[in-house]
Amino acid sequence: MSQSHQHRLPVWALRTNGGVVLLFLYAPIILLVIFSFSASRIPGQWGGFTTEWYATLFDDSRLQRTISVSVRVALVSTLIATVLGTMAALALERFTFRGRRVFDALLYLPIIIPDVTMAVMMLMFFSQSFNVVDAVFGLGISKGFGTIVVSHVAFNIAFVSVVVRARIAGMNATLEQAASDLYASRWQAFRYVTLPLIAPGVLGGALLALTLSLDDVVVTQFVAGPGSTTLPVYVFSLIRKGVTPTINSVSVIMLVASLILVAGSVALQRANASRGRQQLQTSGGTS
Amino acid sequence: MNEITESQDQRSAAVSLRGISKLFDDVTAVDSVDLDIGDSEFFALLGPSGCGKTTTLRMIAGLEIPSAGSLQIFGEEVGSLPPNKRPVNTVFQNYALFPHMSVADNVAFGLKMRKIPKSEISTRVHEAISLVRMTGMEDRRPNQLSGGQQQRVALARALVNRPKVLLLDEPLAALDLKLRQEMQFELKQLQREVGITFVFVTHDQEEALALSDRIGVMNDGRLLQVGTPEEMYDAPIDRFVADFIGRSNFLNGTLESAEVVCLANGQRIRVPQVDAVSVGDEVQVSLRPERVMIGDLDSAPHDSAQLSGTVETETFLGNSVVYRVALDWMTIEVEADHRPDVERYHAGDRVDLWWRDDAVAVVRP
Amino acid sequence: MKLGAAELKREREERRRGFFLALPSFAYMVLFFALPLVIVLIYSFATRTSTGSTALSDWNFDAYRKLGEPIVRNVVVRSVVLAVITTVICLVVAYPFAWFCAHQRPTVRNVLLIAVMIPFWTNFLVRNYAWRILLSKGGPISTFTEAIGLGEVDILFTKTAVVIGLVYAYLPFMILPLYASIDRLDQRLVEAGRDLYGSGPQTFRRIILPLTMPGVIAGSILVFVPSMGAYVTPELLGGGKETMLGSYIVTQFLTARNWPVGASLSFVLMAVMLVSTVVYFRSGGRNL
Repeated sequence: MSQSHQHRLPVWALRTNGGVVLLFLYAPIILLVIFSFSASRIPGQWGGFTTEWYATLFDDSRLQRTISVSVRVALVSTLIATVLGTMAALALERFTFRGRRVFDALLYLPIIIPDVTMAVMMLMFFSQSFNVVDAVFGLGISKGFGTIVVSHVAFNIAFVSVVVRARIAGMNATLEQAASDLYASRWQAFRYVTLPLIAPGVLGGALLALTLSLDDVVVTQFVAGPGSTTLPVYVFSLIRKGVTPTINSVSVIMLVASLILVAGSVALQRANASRGRQQLQTSGGTS
Repeated sequence: MNEITESQDQRSAAVSLRGISKLFDDVTAVDSVDLDIGDSEFFALLGPSGCGKTTTLRMIAGLEIPSAGSLQIFGEEVGSLPPNKRPVNTVFQNYALFPHMSVADNVAFGLKMRKIPKSEISTRVHEAISLVRMTGMEDRRPNQLSGGQQQRVALARALVNRPKVLLLDEPLAALDLKLRQEMQFELKQLQREVGITFVFVTHDQEEALALSDRIGVMNDGRLLQVGTPEEMYDAPIDRFVADFIGRSNFLNGTLESAEVVCLANGQRIRVPQVDAVSVGDEVQVSLRPERVMIGDLDSAPHDSAQLSGTVETETFLGNSVVYRVALDWMTIEVEADHRPDVERYHAGDRVDLWWRDDAVAVVRP
Repeated sequence: MKLGAAELKREREERRRGFFLALPSFAYMVLFFALPLVIVLIYSFATRTSTGSTALSDWNFDAYRKLGEPIVRNVVVRSVVLAVITTVICLVVAYPFAWFCAHQRPTVRNVLLIAVMIPFWTNFLVRNYAWRILLSKGGPISTFTEAIGLGEVDILFTKTAVVIGLVYAYLPFMILPLYASIDRLDQRLVEAGRDLYGSGPQTFRRIILPLTMPGVIAGSILVFVPSMGAYVTPELLGGGKETMLGSYIVTQFLTARNWPVGASLSFVLMAVMLVSTVVYFRSGGRNL
C-alpha cells in the first residue's frame, strides 16, 4: 500500500486551514469584546482601557425599555410556541389524521422562508386584518407587543416541532404500549412515560425558540409599533445612524446573553445524548 | 380449517378465539383463527416470522383490534376493549422497561396506575421482585441491568398485577444460547409456581416443545394444528407442521382406503387413520429419519413397511449418523444411533429399510 | 361482523384524537402563516395608488412586469452573483476543514464541530456589527495593513465587505453537511482510488468529489439560499450602496411605498427558495 508517506494533502496544510477558519470565526467576536473596553470614540481604535461605555448603559432608559420588551416578547412567544410545537410534534409522530401531510409540509415553510418574505407577509396580514376589524367592529388595533409575539410564534412553532419530533422519533414506541398494557390511561401514559422522556427535546426546542426570538431583526422591525421596539431592532437602527461606542458595549452584552443560552443548549444536548444511550441499552437485552 | 381441541371445556377456557381475523390494508395477517387456551396452561404459539403469531398475541393483549371474530377471556367478551381494560399483561420482546424509572418503580407501575394504596404496592412489589430473584436490585436503572435481568424485571412488572393471563412475545429471542436455556427452565418453574395461563410466542420449535403443555402452529395467518408436544411431533396433520417441528421425509402418495396409502412407486403401506384427509386425496406420508430402521430385516416386526435402497452419503453427527439413501424414485434421510452395537454403513452399500406402521403420519401436502 | 366495526371505531377514535391534538397549532399556522402568504400573493396583483397606499382593485400584473425593469434586474443579478461568490468561497474554505474534522479522533472532532457552531449561535446582529467595526476606516484591519506597509484599507461598504459578512454568517452551513458526507466516505474506496490513480488530484476528482457530492450540494444550497435573501448583512456592511434583493424589498415598504412590487418580489424570492429546497431534498439532502 502506497499510503503511508503519501497523504493527499500534507497534514500541516490541513491544520493551518483549520486554524485559519477558527481564527476567522472567533476573531471578530473577540476583537469586539476587546474594543468595547476601548476609550477611543472611534470604534475599532484602541484608546486606553475604560468601562465607561458599560456604565452609560445603566442610564439609558430607552435601551432598558427595549431590553424589557425583548425579554417579555421572547418569554411569552417561547411559551406559546413550545406548547403548540410540542402538541404538533406529538400529533405528527404518533397519530394519523386528515390533513396530516398538509400540516407536515406547512411546518417546513417557516424554516426555509427568507426573513424578508416573512416580515412582508406579517406586515400585510396585520395591515389588512386591522383594516377589516376597523371596518367591521370599529375597533382600532395597532401594531405593538401583540403583533411581535404573534409573528414570533408563527415561525417558532415549526422550529420547536422539528426538535421535539426528533426526540419523539428516537424514543422507543413500545414504551407507550407497555404503559397501556399496565393499565395506564392515555393521559397517564403521556404524563408518566412520554413526557419525562421527551422533556429534553421540549426544553431544547424552547431554548431554540428563545434564541430565535431574541435574535430576530427583520420580522420584528416590520411588525413592531412605535412604543414597542425590541433590542436588536433598536440597535440595528442605531448602527445605521452611526456607530458609537455604546453600541459596542450593548453588543457585547447581547453576545454574552446568547453565549449563556448556547451553553445551556450544549449542556442539554449532553443530557439528551446520555438519556439516548440509556434507552438504547434497554431496548433489546444483550446480556 | 383448523381444529379446536376437545380436551378443554370451553367454559373454563382462559382465552377463547373464534373466527379471529386481522387485515392490514391488503394483507391478511391472521385468517380466521379458532382456539381455546386453558386455565393454568403453558401454551406456545409457534411459527416462522410473519406467520401472524405476534399479531394474534397483540389482539389478545388489546394492542390490536380484530377485523372480525370473537375474543373472550374467561367468558368475557373483550375483543374491542383497550389494553388497559383487560386482565392480561404482556412481556414485550425488547422488554420495554421504562428507562427513566428504577426497577422498583417499573414493577410498581401497573399498581400505581390502578391507584392501589401505597403500602400494598410496596408489599406486592417486593413479592414480585423476589419471585423473579432480583431482590437487592430495586434501585437500579434498566440500563444498568443485563439482558437476563431486564427480562426478569419485565416478568415481575407483569406478574405483580396478578393478571389472569400472561402474554410473552418471543421474550428469549434476544438472549444468547446458554442464557436462553437457563431462562427457559426458570420460566417453566415460574409458571408452575404462579399457576396462571402463559401464552408464549416463539419461532423456536425446540423451545416450544420443551416448555409447553400445548402448542399451536401457525403459518401464513392460519392456525394449522394445536396439540401437546408429543401429538405435534408424532401426529402432525399438515406438511408444514411436520416440516417445521423436527425433520421429516415426505413420501408422495394417494390415500386408497382409511388405513392404506399407495406410494408413488406403487408400493402400498399401512398408515394410522387420520380425520383430516379423505379417501382418494393426494397425501404425503411424513416419515421422521430416526423412525427408519436400517439393516436387519429379520428384526422388523410383522406390522412394518419395507424398502431397499443404496446409501449415497453418510454424515457423522456425534451421537448419531445420518444417511442419505437413494430409493428407486426418491432419496430419503435415515438417522441411526451411533453405538458400538449398531452397524455402520458407507456410500455405495445396498441396504434394507423398515419402519413400524404406526411410525408415520399422513399429512396434507 | 361485530368486531369489524370495533376496529373501525378504534381507528376513528385515534384519528380524532390526533386531529384535535394537532388542531391548535394547525389552526395557528393556517391563520398566521398560510393566510399571510396568500395575502402577499393577492397584494402582488393590486395597484399602487399615487399616495403610496394600496388599492385592492384593478388587479393587474404591473408588479410582476416591474421585475423585468433594469433596476430590478440589476438588483437580482447582483444578489445572485454575490450569493454565488459566497457559496464558492465557503465551499473552498470548508472542504479542507470538514476533511480535517472527519479524520480526527471522535473527541477532537466533536470539540471542533461545537467550536464551529458556537459563533453561529450567538446573536446574528452582533456578529455583523463586529465586522462593521473590523472593516471600518481606522479599524483593526486597516491598522494592521498600515503596519505591514500596505496602506490604509477601507473595505466597508463594498461588495467585498458584504461577501465577507455572508461567508462569516453561513460558513457553518457549508461545513456541517460536508463533514457529514465526508464522514460517510468509505475509506476503502479512497484507498482503491489511490492504488489506481496515485494519491492526489485524480483521486479527488474521480473518487472523493463524486462520493461527497451530496454534501457539496446540500451545503451549497444551505449557503446560497439565505445569501440570496439576506438583508441585515448587506445593510450593515454594504451600507445601502450595494443593494441586494432583501434591501430592495424592504425599501418598497419603508421608502418607495410600493407594496404590490414588494409583494411580488417577496413572492418570487420565496418561490426560488422553495425550488432550491426541493432540489436539496431530491438530491438526498434528507439523509444528511
